[in-house]
Amino acid sequence: MNKNLKIIGKSTPKLDGKERVTGSAVYGHDIDLPNMLHGMILRTKYPCANIISIDTSAAKALEGVACVITAADVDVNMIGYKRDHPILKSNTVNCNRDEIAAVAATSKEIARKALSLIKVEYEVKQGVYDPFEALLEASPTLNERGKGLEQFGNKNMAESFHYEHGDLEAQKARSKVIVTKRYETSRVTHCCLGTSNITASYSKLDGSLTLWASTQVPFLYQRDIAHALKMDASKIRVLQPIIGGGFGSKLDMHPFEPICALLSIQTGKPVQILYDREEEFLASPTRQPMVIDLTTGADAEGRFTFREVKIVLDNGAYTSWGATTPFVMMQTYSSLYQVPACWFQADAVYTNNPFAGSFRGYGNPQATFSIETNIDLMAKELGIGKDEIRLINANYKGEITGQGLHFKTCGAQPALEKVIAESAYKEKINRGDTGRYRRGIGLASMLHVGGGAKIYRSDGCGTRLKLDHYGYLTIITGSNEIGQGSETILAMIAVEELGIPMDKIKVINTDTDVKPWDVGVHASRTSFVAGNSMLGAVKLIKEKLSKEAMKLLSIDAADFDYKDGSMFSSEKEIKIDKVVREMHFGSNELCQVEYFYEPPSSFQDKRFMGDVSGNYAFASQAIEVEVDTVTGNVKVMDVWVSQDVGRVLNPVGLQGQMEGGIATGIGFALTEEMIYAEGKLINPSFHGYKLLTSMDMPTVHFFPIETYDEAGPYGSKGAGEAPLIPTAAAIANAVADAIGVEFFSLPISAEKVLKALATVKENQLV
Amino acid sequence: MDFDVISPKTREALLEAMDACQDKKYRFGAGYTDLINDLNANPQEDLTVINLAQLQDDVFSNITEDDSGLHIGALVTAAQVLENEYVQTHFPVLWEAANSVASMQIRQTATLAGNICQASPSGDMSCALVALNAVCDIINTRDEMRIEPLANFFRGVKKTSLAKYEILRSIFIPKNIQYNIKSGYVKIGTRVSMEIAILSVAYHLQVDEKNIIAAAGIAIGAVAPTIKYTQTACEFLIGRSLYEIKDVVLENFSSQVLNYATPISDVRASAWYRTTVLENVTKIIFD
Repeated sequence: MNKNLKIIGKSTPKLDGKERVTGSAVYGHDIDLPNMLHGMILRTKYPCANIISIDTSAAKALEGVACVITAADVDVNMIGYKRDHPILKSNTVNCNRDEIAAVAATSKEIARKALSLIKVEYEVKQGVYDPFEALLEASPTLNERGKGLEQFGNKNMAESFHYEHGDLEAQKARSKVIVTKRYETSRVTHCCLGTSNITASYSKLDGSLTLWASTQVPFLYQRDIAHALKMDASKIRVLQPIIGGGFGSKLDMHPFEPICALLSIQTGKPVQILYDREEEFLASPTRQPMVIDLTTGADAEGRFTFREVKIVLDNGAYTSWGATTPFVMMQTYSSLYQVPACWFQADAVYTNNPFAGSFRGYGNPQATFSIETNIDLMAKELGIGKDEIRLINANYKGEITGQGLHFKTCGAQPALEKVIAESAYKEKINRGDTGRYRRGIGLASMLHVGGGAKIYRSDGCGTRLKLDHYGYLTIITGSNEIGQGSETILAMIAVEELGIPMDKIKVINTDTDVKPWDVGVHASRTSFVAGNSMLGAVKLIKEKLSKEAMKLLSIDAADFDYKDGSMFSSEKEIKIDKVVREMHFGSNELCQVEYFYEPPSSFQDKRFMGDVSGNYAFASQAIEVEVDTVTGNVKVMDVWVSQDVGRVLNPVGLQGQMEGGIATGIGFALTEEMIYAEGKLINPSFHGYKLLTSMDMPTVHFFPIETYDEAGPYGSKGAGEAPLIPTAAAIANAVADAIGVEFFSLPISAEKVLKALATVKENQLV
Repeated sequence: MDFDVISPKTREALLEAMDACQDKKYRFGAGYTDLINDLNANPQEDLTVINLAQLQDDVFSNITEDDSGLHIGALVTAAQVLENEYVQTHFPVLWEAANSVASMQIRQTATLAGNICQASPSGDMSCALVALNAVCDIINTRDEMRIEPLANFFRGVKKTSLAKYEILRSIFIPKNIQYNIKSGYVKIGTRVSMEIAILSVAYHLQVDEKNIIAAAGIAIGAVAPTIKYTQTACEFLIGRSLYEIKDVVLENFSSQVLNYATPISDVRASAWYRTTVLENVTKIIFD
C-alpha cells in the first residue's frame, strides 16, 4: 500500500467542474426537444379526503392543451417499495402531495391555466397525522393496500424491523448506570438546488421510451418505470443529464416520473415536467421524522453494557425506500462502540403526512443523535469524562460486533483521539460561561458502511474500457455521477495505472443503453465499488497491452511501467497509441475489456446478522458552539472532524464532501424543519425553511485517518454520508455543555434554547 | 407572467406615464427583487409596470447632503447606501440595516424606496429610517410635492399613504444635532444572510459632551403590523445620562418599548419569542 502514487492522494479538480462553474452544464431543466409539451400535475387540495368526482372537460377544451389524464385514463401498476402507492389517485387522497390529474400543453402558462380548470369534488375527512394515534385500534386504515395486519399485527404498520443480540437482562443487572430518554427528530428535506425534473419522449413507431431523468439508480429506475407502466424494461432508455443535487432524494422513483411518461405516451410527443421551488418542498422526499425511546447502560468502569431501543417512524401515506432506514440504524445501535447486548425494534407507521424517502445518512443521523446524547448523560452520571467514556468503548481493529460486522481495519479510536486533541476538548469542556455568549464543546462519533451494502441481489458494478488508436481512454462505467466526484476518481485511477494524461480520458456514465449494470449511487458505495471494478478492468487491459507490446518489442517477458502515454520495460519504450494501432490494424483485435466487480460482503440472515459491507467507515467530530442568551441562537464556531477514509483518493473532493455533509448536519441540528398544520406544509419556501448559507458555515478542520483497508481501491473506504451523521449529536452535546440544558428534540431552534434558558432562570429563582 | 412595460427616461415622462395609468392596474418596478416574486406568486392580468430603472433624474437617483441633512433618492440601491461616507459616519443605524438586507447580490439592485414602499413590518432600511426620523418627499402626477414623516407613511402590512397618483421621490434624514452618537441596528433571524427579520430594533441616540442624551430615535420592526417609532421610550431617554440607563431605569425603558409591540405567532417565531427577545435586546443596547 505504500507504493509511490502519481495522482492518487493529490487534489484533482472534478471533471465536470468547468462546465458547472461556467454555466455550460446541461441540466434536466435545459433540455428542449422539438415539439416538446409542458406537463403539470394537479395535486390535492386536502391531505385526507374522498374524491367524489373529477371533471376535466374544461381543461381539455382549452386551446393548447394536448392531453389531460386522471387515474381513469391509464392502466398502470402501483409503485413504491411496498407497491402501495397509486401513481394517480382516484377514490381517496391521503397526503398533501397526492396527484389527481396531469396535463400536457404547449406552454407552461396554458398547462397552469388548464390545472385551474379541473374541477374536483372532495368529501373532506379528518386525517391522522400522529403515528402513535395511527397505531390505535380506533384509527381508520390509512393505506388500503397496506399489509400491516397480516404481517405485523397492526393495520397501519407499513414496515417493521426487529434485531437483537446478547443477554439483555444480564447486562442490565450488571449496569451501574441506566439512562432512558425519548428523542424526536424533525422532518427535513434535501433542498437540491436543481429542482425535480424529467423529460419523457415516447416513440409510437417502436414503442420505445426515452427518459432524461435525474435518478441516482438508473437501472433500478428503469425496472421501476417498466413495472409502473407495464412495459418491457429494455424498451426504456434512461439518460442522465447533469444532476443538481441528489443526497438520496433520487433513490425512489416518484409519481411525477411515470406521469410524465404517460403524458408522452398519450400524446406521442416529448413532455417535460419541472418543479418550481414550492412544488419541490411540497412533493419531493424528506428524511423520516422519528420518535426514539432509548435506554442504555454502562458498568462502573464506564464500559457499555446494553442498548434497548424502540423507534416509531412516520412513514407517511405511502411506503418508499425510506421505510428501510432501520436496516442502517440497527447497525449503529448494535455496533457503534462495543455493545454486549442490543434489543432493537423499529416500526414505520402510515399517517396522512407526506411519505419520507431516503436522505444522506439513511437513518443514521437520527440514531447517532440519540446514542451520543445518551452517552454524555451516562458519563455525567458516572463522573467519567465524556471523551474518556468514548475511548473506553471505541471500536477496534479485528472486532466482530454482536451483529457480525467485521472491522478488518478500524480508525475509530485514532479519530476520537485526533479530534479530542485538535479541538483542545479537555481544556474547553465544562467552561461554565455566564455572560451573554456562552461557549460549549461536544463530541460524537459514527459508524457507517464504507464498502457498499448488500441489500440488492448484486451490489456490483461493471466497467468497460476502450483504448483508441490515438491513445485516448474511454471509461464506460455502470456507476453514475451525482456531484460526489466519483467519475473523477475513476479517471484518476486510469491516470495512476495506465499513465494516460487526464485530458485523454473520457468517462461515459449517463446512458442505460450503453453502460453495464450497477445498482446505483447510495450507501457511500460508488468510489469503492466502481473504483474496484475499474481496477479489475485496468488489470485486463494491461494484460492485452502487455502481450501486444512484448510482440512489438520482441521481448519474452516484461513488467511494464505506464507513464506519459507510454509503456516502459527496462531500456525499452513504446507509445500506447502505437500499441493500439498495431493491435487494431495489425492483429485485427480491439483494445477493449470489460470487468464486473462484486464486493466481498454477504447478505445478512433473517436475524439481520452478517458482514453487510466490504469495509466500514468511522468518524468523530468535536464541535464548538456559542449560544447567544439574548436571542437563543446557536452559532457553530469550529468543527474538528476526523474520519477513517481508508485512504485519501482526492483531497479536494473529500474536503468538499466534509463541508457539504457538515452543512447539512448543522441545518438538521439547528434550523431546518418542515412545519405542517393538519397535514399541510406551511413553509414551502427558503423564506420559511431555514436552509443555511455559506455565510453561516464554520471553519471545518479535517483530519483524515488512513487505515489502508485492503478491500477498497488503494485501501480506501466510502466517505460520502459520514460527515453529516455525527454533526447534530455533537452540536446537541455542545449546546448542553454551553448552557447546562440537554436537548432531546431537533432542531435545537433559537426558541427552544430561549425557553430552556427561561426555565433554568425560573428554577434558580425558586 | 405577462405585463406591459413603460420605461420613462425623465420625470416629465414618468408623471405622464402615471397619469396615463390612472384607470389601469399598475406597479412600479426598480430593483425588481420583490416585484417579480410577488407577480409569480400572484399573477395579474392586464398589468402595466412602470419601469424606473431607466429614469434619469437627480432627485430620484442621487444621495445629496445639505445644511439640514441628507437626501437619499428613491432609486438609490442598498449597495449605494453602504458606500456613502456620510451614512457611514453619521447614521450607522442605516448602514447596519442596509448591510443586513438579503445578500450582497440583492443589495446591488434592491432600492431604498422599494424597501420602504413594500411596507413590510420587517423592512430593514425602513426600520432604521424611522429611528432616524426620516421624512418622505412625495410627488404627484401634477408634479406637486408633499412631505410626510416616514413613521406616518406606513399604514399597515403592505399599506402606505401613497395615493395611486403619487410616487415616493426621495427620503430626507435630518442632520445629527450632536457629534457623539450611539447608533445601531439589531436584526434577529436564523441565518446570517438571506434573512428577513423575526424582529428588529433600530436605535440612534445623540449625546452631548456630558453624555446626556439629547436626542433619541428608537424603532422596532416585525412586532406589529407596521414599523413602530417608540415615541414614549424615546422621550423617556431624553435628558438622562447614558450611564444612568441601567437597573430600574433600564427596566422602565424596556417596558416603554414593549408597549409598542403587538407581535403575532407565525411560521418563523412565536409571539412569546418575539416579546422575550425584544425585551432582551432593549437591555443590551446600552451595554
